[in-house]
Amino acid sequence: MLRLLEKSWFQYLTLLAVLVGLVYYFGWIFDFGYDFDWSVLYTVNQTYGENFGFKLLDGLALTLQITLFSSAAALLLGTFFGLGRLSHFKPLYWASTAFVEFFRNTPLLIQLFFWYFAFPMLLPETLREWAFANNFELISATFGLSVYTGAFMAEVIRAGLQSIPKGLLEAAYSSGLSYFQALRTIILPLAFRAIIPPLGSEFLNNMKNSSLAMVVGVAELCWQSQQIESLTFKGFEATTAATVIYLGLSLSISAFLNMVNLRLQVAPRDRRSLGYRIADVFFWPFEMGWSLLATPVTWALARRSDSLQYSPLRVLVRKVRRLLELVLGALWKIAFLGGLLLLLFKAGQGLFALNWEIIRGNFFTLLIWRFPAGEGSELFMGLGGLSFSLLMALIAITVSFGIGLVVGLGRMSKNRLLNVPCTLYIELVRGTPLIMVIFWVYFFLPIFTKSYLNVFWSATIALTLFTGAYLAEIVRGGIQNIPAGQFEAAMSTGLNYFQAMRRVILPQALKQMIPAIVGQFIAIFKDTSLAYVIGVLELTFVAQGLNNRLMVYPFEIYATVAFLYFVCCYAMSLYAGRLERKLSPERLRLQM
Amino acid sequence: MRKFKATAVVLALGMLCGLGATQVQAGPAYDQVMKTKVLRVGTMTDSIPGAYYNDKKEWVGFDVDIADEIAKRNDLKVDRIPVTNKTRIAFIQQGRIDISVANMTHKRERDKSIDFSITYFFDGQKMLAKKGQFKDLKEFAGKKIATMQGTTSEINVKNLLKELGDKDVDKNVISFQKESECFQALKMGRVVGWSTDSSILIGYAAQAPGEFELVGDFFSDEPYGIGLPEDDSKLRDMVNFSLQDMWADGTYKKIYDKWYGPNTPYHFPLTKKVEIWP
Repeated sequence: MLRLLEKSWFQYLTLLAVLVGLVYYFGWIFDFGYDFDWSVLYTVNQTYGENFGFKLLDGLALTLQITLFSSAAALLLGTFFGLGRLSHFKPLYWASTAFVEFFRNTPLLIQLFFWYFAFPMLLPETLREWAFANNFELISATFGLSVYTGAFMAEVIRAGLQSIPKGLLEAAYSSGLSYFQALRTIILPLAFRAIIPPLGSEFLNNMKNSSLAMVVGVAELCWQSQQIESLTFKGFEATTAATVIYLGLSLSISAFLNMVNLRLQVAPRDRRSLGYRIADVFFWPFEMGWSLLATPVTWALARRSDSLQYSPLRVLVRKVRRLLELVLGALWKIAFLGGLLLLLFKAGQGLFALNWEIIRGNFFTLLIWRFPAGEGSELFMGLGGLSFSLLMALIAITVSFGIGLVVGLGRMSKNRLLNVPCTLYIELVRGTPLIMVIFWVYFFLPIFTKSYLNVFWSATIALTLFTGAYLAEIVRGGIQNIPAGQFEAAMSTGLNYFQAMRRVILPQALKQMIPAIVGQFIAIFKDTSLAYVIGVLELTFVAQGLNNRLMVYPFEIYATVAFLYFVCCYAMSLYAGRLERKLSPERLRLQM
Repeated sequence: MRKFKATAVVLALGMLCGLGATQVQAGPAYDQVMKTKVLRVGTMTDSIPGAYYNDKKEWVGFDVDIADEIAKRNDLKVDRIPVTNKTRIAFIQQGRIDISVANMTHKRERDKSIDFSITYFFDGQKMLAKKGQFKDLKEFAGKKIATMQGTTSEINVKNLLKELGDKDVDKNVISFQKESECFQALKMGRVVGWSTDSSILIGYAAQAPGEFELVGDFFSDEPYGIGLPEDDSKLRDMVNFSLQDMWADGTYKKIYDKWYGPNTPYHFPLTKKVEIWP
């Protein structure tokens, strides 16, 4: 029997049997107490005279549009601020750091609220009217996403550039390459290899985050599925359809990214895999275009003569160029400083104009909602606000760590019985936006279990399931970083699999994983803000409630909330940074 | 380490118990209510003066008082559960709440999924705009209007604008998730009008006296009913009889005047009568 378990045909057969069993049980035996009506997705609804399938496709088009535009803008912002963080020019460095840290450490939801509801008030009248005359919902959502994703991309780009040893650049210069040649043939290829894979996952995240645009009234995919739910009460069908579309989108993006990653691998000509060859063919036009473009530019910028003496004309040209560079550089610096000071002044003015009385009066509400005064029937005596968010994040990260450990190990197992379900779980969850996972757990778990949960627990379970998939990948990465010889050595000393994992591999791998886990904790803490859509009394919901009652002080409330989120996340990210430095050898800051 | 493990086990067990406690057996809601003597009521949290948190963070409002009164008349305790316009129907279908007193219009489409009590509040849809900008509903055609996703007002206002000659209704009507977001959009000028049930509009307009006004006539009837589980006639009778008794002995009027009477900022004259069965 045990021997049989190791045969892969037996493993596949068992999986198939389980699948058939599940389909049979849920398809014919299990009573959902719910009438499925999939026709709502492809027939014209009589009451409203509309075919909701087309509505979903409209939503998909909008989702794609937001994703593409915001990714392009985010790449520009990310490059600018990523280079800014490597700059000699201190004000630019500080401004870039502030930008990156602030936008990475506040929830996207709060940022979208800010860009949509508060930002127009700061604009001059004409600009505001222009924005309002156009599709302002789409503009603000795209802009908000670009800024958020841009901050993450800036970090990816900075880290990629910094991973290149300084000596390489110096060696390139001393071998006679020009600046452009060195950039094109030495620095960029290496930097791309380090930058593109994480940049790709930022792109994927951006696509999933675009589902949040629904809170500012953009009729994208998630919004449309909710619309179908509220018009026809066929939430299960609508949400399933939207989830399938999101999954398809994520999977095609990941397939593309995998191809890019394959192409980036350096492999000797005779040992190239099939995937590599496919990727090679796929990217051939792009590479041809790039080299066609690069050759003349390199030629134009290459050093003209080997002689060390310049003709008088060249000397003049060089002088003028040097002068121009100096003047333009100075002008740019002055303009940048001026802009920065203006921004700071405006921000200071804005802060001064806030009604601090309101903030003081409601600060404790935001922290604990109505904690000791709450009724006994309420969960945790009416706890809410920031402490609730933290509690949710803590429970989710603790439980999901266990899930991550098991699933991560399962995914690395050679046994298909473990490998296939674990991989499925990870890829399915990672391909779905968190807000969809929350809807699933909230609306549809009760159908399967015939019992219902408090919204707090639904949201926490959704967060846990979601984070579990990400932690599994962190665990897998951590273990794969340990040299394979260690495991073999452990096994050969007579330890069994679990002993080897527990005594040898995991202690080392966990140490490496700690910064990534803290990073995930920050992400999950920010994501608790999404629980507001199902009415969990966490910080964002409490802020909305307060805003609702006070009505005339949205700036005060949202500024305080953004500040609270930022303080918590930034403190954690500083801690993660310190851990990382402690656990890895020291690095110098590369300056360009 | 051992201590840590023990704590973890206790925590996990505690959580399991916490989860278990909220489980509920399937079965007619009425029997469940009579057995536990607890009425689980779904109520909104951000509808002023329907149901909201006041500055002492107490959950108050017209709907809250109505629900309390129904429970009191049947010797029940109230367990209030927050709902939104997205969840108030799903919760009843799932058995998460027994009744939903959540300013919900009685619609035939909704009646396919759940049952309703008799009408307990008579509302209609109107349009709110900044003072002095508009005189007639016709002027709103082609302009941006705010509304809430998943409400009947969303459908009504789209139909109205279509009738008035608006060509691009889907673009011009912006659907938000919450009332407060609509009001915010109106205040900042993103939309020129916000359309929903007039009692909600009055509630918000009262927060900034003199800045906003209702424009035009009612363009739809919005009879509010209490949402009930499908095919649970005993529970429906209980709620209907309680509502009628409240009307008969004047309690309804008292509650109504407390929230919508002439001395409140939300003055909304009571024009119709609750249906009375002899």
